[in-house]
Amino acid sequence: MIECHGLQWGAGGRPLTPPVDLQLAAGSLTAVIGSNGSGKSSLLKVIAGLDRPLAGRIDLGVSLLGGVSYLPQQQHVDRQFPIRLAELVSAGFWRSRLGRDERRARLRQTLADWGLLDLQTQGLHALSGGELQRALLARLSLTDAQVLLLDEPEAALDDVGLGLLWRHIERWQREGRTLVLVSHNLAGLSHHHCDGLLIARSGCIKAPIRQFMAERQRLGQVA
Amino acid sequence: MTPDLLWAPFGEFAFMRRALLGGVALACSAGPLGVFLILRRMSLMGDAIAHGILPGAALAFWLFGLSLPALTAGGLVAGLGMAGAAAWVTRRTGLREDASLAALYPISLASGVLLLGLAGRKLDLLHLLFGSALAVDTATLYGMLGTALFSLAVLALSYRALALDSLDPLFLRSISRFGPLAHAAFLTLVVLNLVIGFQAIGALMVVGLMMLPAAAARFWSRRLLILLPLAALIGAVCVWLGLVLSFYASLPSGPCIVLLAGAFYLFSLVAGPVNGLLRSTPFPITV
Repeated sequence: MIECHGLQWGAGGRPLTPPVDLQLAAGSLTAVIGSNGSGKSSLLKVIAGLDRPLAGRIDLGVSLLGGVSYLPQQQHVDRQFPIRLAELVSAGFWRSRLGRDERRARLRQTLADWGLLDLQTQGLHALSGGELQRALLARLSLTDAQVLLLDEPEAALDDVGLGLLWRHIERWQREGRTLVLVSHNLAGLSHHHCDGLLIARSGCIKAPIRQFMAERQRLGQVA
Repeated sequence: MTPDLLWAPFGEFAFMRRALLGGVALACSAGPLGVFLILRRMSLMGDAIAHGILPGAALAFWLFGLSLPALTAGGLVAGLGMAGAAAWVTRRTGLREDASLAALYPISLASGVLLLGLAGRKLDLLHLLFGSALAVDTATLYGMLGTALFSLAVLALSYRALALDSLDPLFLRSISRFGPLAHAAFLTLVVLNLVIGFQAIGALMVVGLMMLPAAAARFWSRRLLILLPLAALIGAVCVWLGLVLSFYASLPSGPCIVLLAGAFYLFSLVAGPVNGLLRSTPFPITV
């Protein structure tokens, strides 16, 4: 669950939108859409506690640390860092209380779920963009957080990767987790049952994503 | 050179044993710190901080003479002060951190030289900058051993946070508040090692012992858990062979150690299996 009350965010003290009130239920999936620079990624960072809001408050119903997990955009990850893929994914255990054997089994299962078993000993430098993205998503899925914030999760994924992503998203929804993702792929999103949150200077609009698709012409190129 | 010759100076002279023990201890902690400096894109930070130490050490020398605790405390305060000031300027003004460091360290260096002049007593500036490993007394040796043990313990405790903070800082910040603390602890260790090292091999030479083995190790492995001990090992061997060279050739010890490390770096650059010049380089090396 995510509740925002009078939330404003932006850089340099200038809010990007009028105050926003928002309620996202547990098990819901919300796609944040909007043009470049509208503040989609910034909103995710504010909800994740990485940036401070300019005004308002956010109630997550869970502890910020451990209750929330954040998928950063790939460019924030150092591709030349000297570790292997399995070590990157294992960082998802940061707050886990599992024993060593349980971790090993869970890691193996998660790598298999994301089609990464054969790549687990590869260095990050040798991974393609799509493989790295799947590794970051596998790390996210090890965190067991109730609130999942995904900044452009579809980036660099091929059809197989996209299939894995949406299978996991649906599973996370069934488990009652709250998902918010930033996406530019309005057409792709319209195949799934999710809400859209359009961010614009005049304010935010929340509606089923198919409605945005239907009214795309009227709204202009929003995503 | 037979194995006997490589060990004879240390068997014969206590000052050589102290220099070896202290230097190896320093290499064991400075090398892994250098690896993290490179991974955190802070390679020039060590050099800037080494200059930043000087005014603190000079002031301590002016007030307390050649006292190890006073020189250490003075250097520590000045080094941390400069790192903190650079970070503060960056946060408040947006000036890049390397630029604010580059602006601050000539000020520190000039202040240090001026303070030494004002002190009116003769502390050889060359000794301060380039040191003398052969003048490591028992107190300095204990300081070096203590610093090395303390550094390795803190590095082991903060290893995961430091690694993840270098690899993916946003993800670390989303799951832990330990990142800034680990960064502060890391900077303190860098300053502490530079301070304790400058008394043995000089403020400028100790940067070489920190960075050259770390940079050389990068050409031999792509695994962090190998790079860390490898940098320590390269540094330790260079200390040993550098002291031997300095003993037989009657050369200053600090430059001998650093030049050996430099020679190994150049060899690694050419022959190293990871992106060495003799290998094809499919990826641009950035760390």
